[in-house]
Amino acid sequence: MAENEWNRRKFIKTAAVLGTSPLVGGANVTQKQNDSTESELSGLVPRRPLGRTGVEVSGMGLGGYHLGSAETDQAATEIVAKALDHGVNFFDNAWEYHDGLSEERLGKALRGKRQQAIVMTKVCSHGRDKKIAMRMLEESLRRLQTDHLDVWQIHEVIYENDPDLIFAQNGAAEALLSAKQQGKVRFIGFTGHKDPEIHLKMLSHDFPFDTIQMPLNCCDATFRSFETQVLPEANRRGLAPLGMKSLGGSGEPVKAGAITAEQGLRYAMSLPVATTISGVDSMAVLDQNLRVAVNFQPLAASEMQSLRDHCRLFAADGHLELFKMTTKYDGKVGREQHHFPTVEQLPL
Amino acid sequence: MTQSSGSSIPLRKFGHSDAQVSALGFGGHHLGEAPDEKTAVEIVHQAVDGGITFFDNCWEYRRGKTEIWMGAGLKGRRHKVFLMTKTCPHGRDADLALSMLEESLRRLQTDHLDLWQVHGMAFDNDPDLFIHPKGAAEALEKAKKDGKVRFVGFTGHHSAKVHLGMLQTGFPFDAVQMPLNAFDANFKSFECQVLPELNKRGIAALGMKPLNGHGEAIKNGVVTAAEALRYAMSLPVATTITGMDSLEVLHQNLEIAQSFKPFSEAEMQQLRDRCKQEAADGRYELYKLSLKFDNPEARLAHNFPLDNQQSEVQDMLGAQQNTGHPFPERKF
Repeated sequence: MAENEWNRRKFIKTAAVLGTSPLVGGANVTQKQNDSTESELSGLVPRRPLGRTGVEVSGMGLGGYHLGSAETDQAATEIVAKALDHGVNFFDNAWEYHDGLSEERLGKALRGKRQQAIVMTKVCSHGRDKKIAMRMLEESLRRLQTDHLDVWQIHEVIYENDPDLIFAQNGAAEALLSAKQQGKVRFIGFTGHKDPEIHLKMLSHDFPFDTIQMPLNCCDATFRSFETQVLPEANRRGLAPLGMKSLGGSGEPVKAGAITAEQGLRYAMSLPVATTISGVDSMAVLDQNLRVAVNFQPLAASEMQSLRDHCRLFAADGHLELFKMTTKYDGKVGREQHHFPTVEQLPL
Repeated sequence: MTQSSGSSIPLRKFGHSDAQVSALGFGGHHLGEAPDEKTAVEIVHQAVDGGITFFDNCWEYRRGKTEIWMGAGLKGRRHKVFLMTKTCPHGRDADLALSMLEESLRRLQTDHLDLWQVHGMAFDNDPDLFIHPKGAAEALEKAKKDGKVRFVGFTGHHSAKVHLGMLQTGFPFDAVQMPLNAFDANFKSFECQVLPELNKRGIAALGMKPLNGHGEAIKNGVVTAAEALRYAMSLPVATTITGMDSLEVLHQNLEIAQSFKPFSEAEMQQLRDRCKQEAADGRYELYKLSLKFDNPEARLAHNFPLDNQQSEVQDMLGAQQNTGHPFPERKF
């Protein structure tokens, strides 16, 4: 994972720079690019309904993985505080991020502010039974310094047989229901970055999910698309769609010069989702995100279409969505449970 | 192990053509794993003597080493075999594909190929790039018209959908190569989705990866090499291509192929069922889920990152150091 993290960090710096540089590519999207000033960030990130839950969340959410990549605990605390100040209330995490560090940092940063936040974390049983899932929940609650989660999701549903394992007797689906019954979690869902068909297989079980997380970006629209295959189905069922990987996971489309970070974020946030989760490991990146999210104005349908058209050729072979085409973004615990080689043995 | 000279392997029809090929094919990639050229030549000699007529290779395998060694091994024996190699434009144009053909012919020391295939259809846009004006389809047509190749086809190990996309281009392929094994039957299956379509169209089906690429399932005791090979050879294919990097492996394969009796349908189903659970997440078919088996040539053409652990990449790096020897051996 070390190289992975390094790549992500390296990108964030690039993206932060590109975010304030002139637009590249031919997309018919124009947006004023300014230096970051506090006055510019006056205002809040607008709220949206979280599906049918009755809860409202900020249109941009703070990704938990990158909190573990921030330089120090203090830096993470400051990122969370500033995000809250600007109206960000949706906080993502996962039991397995940085072996628990991401959850610990979020727990610390939300001390005294827990009631302002919609806290989500994910269970990483990866096909194992309910008991292991419930044990992970207790660990997550302890690290997050809270007695309940707002959203608890099954992490990384990316292997073909995951739906079968999750819905097997005594599987993770039962853990979600138990936790909800016990009042330890308010809402439940699942996540995955691999294949729309696996998401649809999960939905076909008609399980009472509240949320569903998926990669949504302007390259996805024309390549093995969650946007066209899963998002409408999630909305039809009244689930709250949570977008992620708006910049390709590590900013691949930005580094390739296909889009700017701002275009990528704006596109993802303009989709019919409850929130777009974006990882932040520094104030520079937070400012970049807030410049888009504060007082957010969605792209017009025609602007979205021209961005999709622009990205279509880049997207055609999947090289800007490595999470769909390679094993690069597949986590350690899931690989172990599915007897896949480690990331060192199988980087891509 | 028996010395197999004079024995024979069943021959099968090559699609709708008059040609026949041995039911077991000699995979080119593993020839590059032999310790030296002398051993490689000996492996090729004994393979021909043992009744293998189908020889597989590829322009990009080990930066040409496997074609050169196979060419040396087939010297004086070229007329006894059905020689295939592959071109590696990976979406690039027909001229590049044709220049690779000239190189392959030179390395293989021959003036024609029996089968020339476009290598490694992997990405969703590969069918479009293939059939696009000036794409590799034009190279296949020209090479056939010029008499440099008898038959043409394509290969790939990623996606049955991409294979079907290639067929939908309407190009008149003579052969199609794909991974076929008892794990494939239950996971993103070429056997279920592509093989029946080829048989319907009279296109020669070429199976590969009968042992899942590197034999992981055999090392882990899920199936034996004999079962795996027999399963693949029992499918309705013209040949099953498998790699042989030593005389020991060659002899083992020859023994299975020379005494080959197809599994009954019930036996095949039993083996599929035995593999089903471990097939379900693709752990034994990483070529469908990762870029592990995709050569640098394919990755570069499609802007995917390289993997420094890959043998071809190691060969590229090794080639930068002048050791005074051809094909410097990799050091780890």
